[in-house]
Amino acid sequence: MPLGLRSGFAVDIAVRVLLFAFIGVAWNLMGGYAKQLSLGHAAYFGLGAYTSTLLLIKFGISPWIGLVAGGIVAMLASLPIGWLCFRLRGPYFAIATIATAQVFMLLFLKFRDFAWGAEGTTIPFLGNAPLMMQFSGKAPYYYIALALLVLGLVITYTIERSWMGNYLVAVGEDEDAAEAVGVNAPRIKRDIYLISAFLTALAGTFYVQYIYFIDPNTAFSFNVSVEAALVSIVGGIGTLWGPVLGTVLLEPTSALLQSWLGASHGGVQLTVYALILMAVILWRPTGLLGLLTDAYHKLVRRDG
Amino acid sequence: MLATLAQAVVNGLLIGGIYALVSIGVTLIFGVVKIVNFAQGEFLMIGMYLSFFLATRAGMDPLLSLVIVMPVMFLIGMAFQHVLIRRVLGLGDMPQIFLTFALSVLLMNVALLLFTANYRTVQTPYTDAAVHIGAVYISVAKLIAFVLAMVFSGALTLFLQSTDIGKAMRAAAQNRDVAMLMGINTDLVFAVAVGLALALAGAAGALLMPFYPVYPAVGQVFVLMAFVAVVLGTLGNVTGALIAGLMMGVAESLGIQFVGADSGLIVVFAMLLLTLAIRPSGLFGGRAR
Repeated sequence: MPLGLRSGFAVDIAVRVLLFAFIGVAWNLMGGYAKQLSLGHAAYFGLGAYTSTLLLIKFGISPWIGLVAGGIVAMLASLPIGWLCFRLRGPYFAIATIATAQVFMLLFLKFRDFAWGAEGTTIPFLGNAPLMMQFSGKAPYYYIALALLVLGLVITYTIERSWMGNYLVAVGEDEDAAEAVGVNAPRIKRDIYLISAFLTALAGTFYVQYIYFIDPNTAFSFNVSVEAALVSIVGGIGTLWGPVLGTVLLEPTSALLQSWLGASHGGVQLTVYALILMAVILWRPTGLLGLLTDAYHKLVRRDG
Repeated sequence: MLATLAQAVVNGLLIGGIYALVSIGVTLIFGVVKIVNFAQGEFLMIGMYLSFFLATRAGMDPLLSLVIVMPVMFLIGMAFQHVLIRRVLGLGDMPQIFLTFALSVLLMNVALLLFTANYRTVQTPYTDAAVHIGAVYISVAKLIAFVLAMVFSGALTLFLQSTDIGKAMRAAAQNRDVAMLMGINTDLVFAVAVGLALALAGAAGALLMPFYPVYPAVGQVFVLMAFVAVVLGTLGNVTGALIAGLMMGVAESLGIQFVGADSGLIVVFAMLLLTLAIRPSGLFGGRAR
């Protein structure tokens, strides 16, 4: 077992931490750097999940190929969605993105001939079949999720240090001013949306392969959209490590709360999430990372 | 066919009155305070629970409970502005969106913890009553809700047009700094605006109670409609929100009638996306955003 994690429960939490950190990283590229606050990333998570599952079940195509196919489908979908939603700014952009994710969920709920409708489907278990992204143990899932997160971080790191990163931050700070100095804002927003959608779709494929089940409420869950934004904001919006830090705090907390209180206390997890989010916004808008940086600077100043 | 169509339009208009109340609240806060209140639906939910408990514990008719629900929600609104919104004004989109969004999630889940996910209804003498006009069937409870919703919308418009604080509110909406220079107490004006918006959400809740079940997530249905209506009706425009709210009701009802029982929302979202594609500044007025 990786990292000395003994129990299946611990590995499961680790996989979820890595996966949601990755989704947060994907969201953060657009929501954090360019400040396009999407609340509809579940659309791409779900498209990735459904693309690979349809390819697997209807055509027997490996989810490894489905993974990339799902990413491409998500990119293609992000073009018209972005074209529509980027007409709005700020809160109304967020609302329009919620609407797009909801439309996908409703469509997949409705068309049962095409994709199993509201009941969803289980993914056939083929035994230990690495080529079909199926494993008997949990460790391989851990490493795949880790690889995804590393991919997301490398992409973020590269963008952060390129001209694109500067343009994104400029658009995020003040779109009109950025355009005035020659940044092609619509284009940069479209491009980062493509990347963000692609990465989010990878997470979707991985997730349904991990839980062996897909239905519209799981794949297009509003919680995915929320959590993507939440971990980024709590950890430190618009920073490389922010989403990772946020997930490390939130995801185990919620898993532990759930295992302590059980399903009978539905609502506790989101109540806690909401309180943490409000506390961060009111007292520490730079997130945990900001808190740590400040503490570090204080220590250094005291030492020097 | 014609009767079915008329019935669908009437049903839509009646529920559209409720959408209009929620939409006007959203657009009032946006117009004056410049933030979008994602928690508006949860305030409707609180209004419904208030009305529900007044009905079940104190035997008060939901319509009579308006005289308690609206003032209570008004005060909650002033507190909401003073304690929370005031702290994120001018801080940019992220804190403004996610503060009210977090509040929405918080209220919904606290309600879930307190009241469970059960649907609760209140039976009134007029809950199942109906009048017939030709072949069209009109629920009395919905008709009363619609009429009162229109009365409250009209009263708000009148208030904004003719009272000093209403004028101050419109001034603050146009230009906060200049309004302050003119001696307007913007803190008070903002608090009254949010208070009024919440009183309307509470009113919508109490008006729904005779014919609609209350549950913790009930606000989500209405707030989504309101957001679409507000985008459609041009942000910050009260009359626009009113008309668009009614339109949303009709669109949803026609969707249910002619596309399928679960297609109301698809029609509504399609309308939103279509509006964005054709006329992103909304139907009423060309203010850019």
